[in-house]
Amino acid sequence: MSLGNPVLLLTLAAAAFYTLGCRRKFFILPAFLIQAGYMFYRGMLLGRMPIVGPHDTLFFLSASIALFGFPLTFKQENSRPLFYSVTALSLLFLFLSLPFKPHSSPLPPVLKTVWFEAHVALSFFSYALFGIGAVLGAVFLSAGEKRSELLQYKTIVVGYFLFSAAMVFGGIWAYLAWGTYWLWTPKELWTVILWLFYGLYLHARLTSRWTGRPAALLGIVGFIIVMFTYLGVSLLMKSSHSF
Amino acid sequence: MDLLKKALKTFLSLKTTVWLLLVLLVVLFYGSLIMPSRPEFQELYTLPLFRWLTGSPFRLTWWLWLSIAVLSLITINTLACSVDSVVKKRGARNWLLIISPQVVHVGFLFILLAHLLSSYGSYKGMAYAYEGSVLRLPGGAEAVFDRIKTTVDPTGYVTGWSADITYYRKNRVVTRDVIRPNDPSFHDGFGIYVRTVRQSPYPVALIELSREPGAPFALAGGFFFLMGMSLLLLLKARREEPAGTLRE
Repeated sequence: MSLGNPVLLLTLAAAAFYTLGCRRKFFILPAFLIQAGYMFYRGMLLGRMPIVGPHDTLFFLSASIALFGFPLTFKQENSRPLFYSVTALSLLFLFLSLPFKPHSSPLPPVLKTVWFEAHVALSFFSYALFGIGAVLGAVFLSAGEKRSELLQYKTIVVGYFLFSAAMVFGGIWAYLAWGTYWLWTPKELWTVILWLFYGLYLHARLTSRWTGRPAALLGIVGFIIVMFTYLGVSLLMKSSHSF
Repeated sequence: MDLLKKALKTFLSLKTTVWLLLVLLVVLFYGSLIMPSRPEFQELYTLPLFRWLTGSPFRLTWWLWLSIAVLSLITINTLACSVDSVVKKRGARNWLLIISPQVVHVGFLFILLAHLLSSYGSYKGMAYAYEGSVLRLPGGAEAVFDRIKTTVDPTGYVTGWSADITYYRKNRVVTRDVIRPNDPSFHDGFGIYVRTVRQSPYPVALIELSREPGAPFALAGGFFFLMGMSLLLLLKARREEPAGTLRE
């Protein structure tokens, strides 16, 4: 990818503003607007939401982390560790999206439905929230601030709701497209593993044995499973969800 | 009697839920590793789960049997905890808040029921259909493919397709329908889907006949699950709930 590439230039500009945001929070606004503007431009160009293929989905994930993560930092008393971590996570996915070519060819007819767009968009919103949950868990483990653990729980609950909605919408779409709401593919199995894992987290956190550090740790492990479900299965295993 | 009390106490425990979920996760993790490496699992795309399970060697299927066993225990655990919670807290003031996790549980149980029904009674069959082809449905009706069309963009990319069909019963027209992507035709409990279409040298559609008896329950389960979670989120949004507040 050459330096004259507009995607690279936009990414570098957004990254520069995010980095400046570590000194003055105001700068995260232009950084996010650059990301949102790029996605809007691609959406207009393609006539659909740009959420197909690793480039667009990683970019979408990065923007979603910024969208949900930065407002949370305004509520924190000592917001620096969370702010730096959210910035780092968002930048990580922003730069990871760069090596992949944007998917600009027309979609197969079966993907042109609101159920598909809702399924994918909600999945990545939930992945972003699970990522922020992992960051909050790490902040809690390093600083021991009780509020971070509570915020991790709340973030994961909202993420779990969106992830469940994504699964329901995916099931409706699959039923309308292929006549079944469930396929025995590795991706589906890992999606269920992820769903059950966060179900385990939500139940375990209610018991005293799993409270505090174990719960925070579960929140971090959950995001490792998210990453494997999203990238590992898509890139390594044959599935209807492969890139 | 003591044994019964002990069993009830176990199934009323949140600790049981956590350990059962852990075991299920480990078993599914193992399954996700061996599934892509064994061609036998490909048959699961076309056969109902229980028919495939009973016809396949146990060394391949043991993890699925174990998953079903653990899910059965989780079902009992969920039912016991939900009934216990509703009974114990029925007089409470914030009843909606108490009932919302149980609505989530009802949704979960509906989803399990859906999978159970589909694992017994689902059906999938595929065939090629030409214009004029007749598809005999198990209920006695016949679907005739009148016309198969595709729409193509200027670059030659297929942007859509459709198949006009007429249903007959005893040589009389029952109804007409059009199948499009994400818009199947349903009749007598079966869905007819067009997977793909080819126009040259003559119009032909790859069609799928499908029956998924669990689908309405899965939809109801998804609805209850999301409704319960929405209620929970709305009612708890402003409450700071400390961890470890429930019984073990």
